[in-house]
Amino acid sequence: MYATADMLLTSTPAHAAEQSQEPAIEVVLVRAVLQGDREGFSRLYELYAPLVHGILLARVPRAEVDDLVQDIFLHAFKKLHTLRDEAAFGPWIAMIARNRAVDFYRRSKETVEINDDIRGSEPHDSRAAEILEVIRSLPEAYRETSVLRLVEGMTGPEIAARTGLTAASVRVNLHRGMKLLRQQLGFMEGL
Amino acid sequence: MNDDYLWDKTGQPDPEIQQLEEILGSLRYQPKPLALPRRRNYLPLLAIAASLLLAILAGGIWLRVRSRHEAPPQQARVEAPATPAPEPDVMPVLPEKKSAVNQPLQASNRIYRRRSESSVVDREEALMAKEQLMLALRVTTQKLLLVRTKTQPNQIKNQHRIG
Repeated sequence: MYATADMLLTSTPAHAAEQSQEPAIEVVLVRAVLQGDREGFSRLYELYAPLVHGILLARVPRAEVDDLVQDIFLHAFKKLHTLRDEAAFGPWIAMIARNRAVDFYRRSKETVEINDDIRGSEPHDSRAAEILEVIRSLPEAYRETSVLRLVEGMTGPEIAARTGLTAASVRVNLHRGMKLLRQQLGFMEGL
Repeated sequence: MNDDYLWDKTGQPDPEIQQLEEILGSLRYQPKPLALPRRRNYLPLLAIAASLLLAILAGGIWLRVRSRHEAPPQQARVEAPATPAPEPDVMPVLPEKKSAVNQPLQASNRIYRRRSESSVVDREEALMAKEQLMLALRVTTQKLLLVRTKTQPNQIKNQHRIG
């Protein structure tokens, strides 16, 4: 069974670690994977795929996101032994995702048309794609947190725990990003 | 604007944010199974490598044992002739003469055998025999080259000299 954002809300590692002295779930899972437990990595994938998906969605064309998510987790599986702090799996894989998005544009600068890719066939999809485009036009600091909050349904504390950012930074980014988004989506009444 | 709802989905829901969530929710991550690469099985490769190593070791041991076992017959052939010489009046102690090449070797060997049977003597004998054999081979090669030069003069011109 795969974790949704709502499930993540109830099983946030940071919260669990705060409440007890036991190591966070990703620490346990990373250790298990390093000892050869492949199922442990599947669990990590379930927990962190929405985060990676959101980070990519804020940067690369929608059509490429799913493949890139898989690539990033396969890369992480191979390079997991290089992770020094098991508790930092979230920030680590978030950084891999950001770097991969940069690499994507570096490699396919002249061949990718973002606007064509992100438009869906359904009217609802089309509207979502338009709003996503507006979010992508926001400053980079607000873009990622806005997508994680509004698209992936993660909460602010959860975004902070998973990405390694401070709660204060996430809160500010969310607030300012939402303010800019409201200004640019002046047509909200018509939605 | 309700910051609490934006922050952790608590408090009074913000209708605009809810509307955005509803629309953008269609882009949300759809779970897909991750296909991890198959674990590489190194056992067959290790088995093959171990077999090769064992075969090489066994071959080496076999060659060593064989070379050790082959050394005594060479000594026995020289030092212990099966039958005495047919002319006891001329050379009563000498073994049967097989060839002219072996004659000095056997004679010198007989002298050495009477003094001692050390391995140094055996090695010298072997070296002498080797030198004789090499000399015979060189002479044969030169003769063959001479014959070839006479029979096929054109071909020999463009060839390297052998020996």
